[in-house]
Amino acid sequence: MPEPPACSDEVQLAIVREMSGLDDALARYEYLIAQGDALPPGTGELRSERYAIPGCQVSVWIRAELEDGRLRLSGDSDARINRGMVALLLRVLDGRTPAEILTADLSFLDRTGLRTQLSPVRANGLAAMVERIRAYAREQLAASSSGRASR
Amino acid sequence: MTEIAKRLSTRELRDRLGDPRLQLIDARPIDAYNGWRLRQEARGGHIPGARALPLKWAAYLDWIEIARAKGIGPDAPVVVYGYDAGEADPVARAFSRAGYVDVAVYGDFVAKWSADARLPLESLPRYRHLVPAGWLREVLTRGTAPEHAGGPVVLCHAHYQNRGDYEQGHIPGALELDTNSLEAPDTWNRRSPAEVREALEKSGITRDTTVVLYGRFSFPDNRDAFPGSSAGQLAAFRCAFIMLWAGVTDVRILNGGLQSWLDAGYAVTTEESEIRPVADFGGDIPAAPELAVDLPEAKAMLAADDANLVCVRSWPEYIGEVSGYHYIERKGRIPGAVFAECGADAYHMEHYRNLDHTSREYGEIAAEWRAAGITPDRHNAFYCGTGWRGSEAFFNAWLMGWPRVSVYDGGWFEWSSDPANPIETGIPAPASSLGVHA
Repeated sequence: MPEPPACSDEVQLAIVREMSGLDDALARYEYLIAQGDALPPGTGELRSERYAIPGCQVSVWIRAELEDGRLRLSGDSDARINRGMVALLLRVLDGRTPAEILTADLSFLDRTGLRTQLSPVRANGLAAMVERIRAYAREQLAASSSGRASR
Repeated sequence: MTEIAKRLSTRELRDRLGDPRLQLIDARPIDAYNGWRLRQEARGGHIPGARALPLKWAAYLDWIEIARAKGIGPDAPVVVYGYDAGEADPVARAFSRAGYVDVAVYGDFVAKWSADARLPLESLPRYRHLVPAGWLREVLTRGTAPEHAGGPVVLCHAHYQNRGDYEQGHIPGALELDTNSLEAPDTWNRRSPAEVREALEKSGITRDTTVVLYGRFSFPDNRDAFPGSSAGQLAAFRCAFIMLWAGVTDVRILNGGLQSWLDAGYAVTTEESEIRPVADFGGDIPAAPELAVDLPEAKAMLAADDANLVCVRSWPEYIGEVSGYHYIERKGRIPGAVFAECGADAYHMEHYRNLDHTSREYGEIAAEWRAAGITPDRHNAFYCGTGWRGSEAFFNAWLMGWPRVSVYDGGWFEWSSDPANPIETGIPAPASSLGVHA
């Protein structure tokens, strides 16, 4: 797997650039759908209760595994738009250290309008996905500070 | 920008109303659809058969999914109307842009349709009790507003033992209302009449007060210790039910809760409001005891041929995969209950809400209910785990003017706590599986 760019800000900037040329809601929607379609399909193990994000009417799963000090993220959903949101978050956060994930500002969500232009229910779902990834990062930091590896 | 290809006259639209292929779209705010006359038009409501798809939603990235979820397809003709072209045209353009082939605009809703009493309009019978943010603001700032008889107004920010939810920002003038003041902490059923009286009097509410309730949806997570603390709009519906049961005559819900207030661009405050308690509620409690059903009556309703016990829970709860609550152990359903799905879990009501948390187009709710055998000719008692979701479903039926609607207050919590009560699990056989699960 290629090394992720040194700075998640670069990826965020790339996403902002990609979306800045899209001049209406439908074009941005189609961008999200295309992002989701490019996401590898989730395995049966990923699509289990353990990795499900609660409260989403259509299931969303996000999994994190520690690999050489970095969190490798995978995710899936049965709704294409949710897959698109998962795909964007993975582009920015996959392969980062737990500390990087916890300090990433994720300003691309505001600069692209994703946070404000989704309907409130979907925007809440997006917030829950971000929170789940941050929770994984917090677990890893807590585990490493107490001297035991988790997962 | 795409040109609007067709504009219909009033006569053309009237002549096409019987066409089953016609997809008529109301682009006005959902409250106008329900019956509010937001532009002082002659008559309120929507053109029969119209679907609510407010312009506000066209700004959402996922707008097309909302249209598709309503079954509005690209091949049949679409006619959009609004208060004016500023409302209808962008929605019509969004349809054209999404590949809908036959899109037209009707532009004379205010000047001609609403003004001509011979043309049909429909509205939600008790729409006055589901208020828009603009109406609430008018009442709060001017003391009076259309569709309000005048008199004292108490605004309640509902929550469940989460004062911080109120403190972090509430509508100016709102009191905090903890559901614990109206619900007993051991059963989560409504409190005794004396306790409810005391709680209402402490909040300054008499039977003649106009009470407006709202809450904040802040993404409840069922793994939290108290997920209900994040489901404020559900708490508001729960309190509304108990107040109606008590006898408050003018109970209203802010449609969409705090989200609608914020979407309208109105400010919130952290300043605590002054509470003016009243000495006397002014009537016997409960004034409407028939709105609440307890266990013996619930059992009688299961046996009756003109009544439904309506299960407003999620599919995993209904088939017994989960109890739905970390404080309820037993899983399953009440045998004979009719399923009317709530949404994702015990703290989500997607089947009763639009994506901005306003209450769902009422005809869609009624259609889902009808498919499950829940119809206004029967006595329907809605229940869930401890009464919140049941109260929201109940309030919808009450808004529709259904004559015999109740909440089975004890719900699954009460039913499942007595081992003598029968329980069913698993996917029911098709004959009894009236609820459709997608």
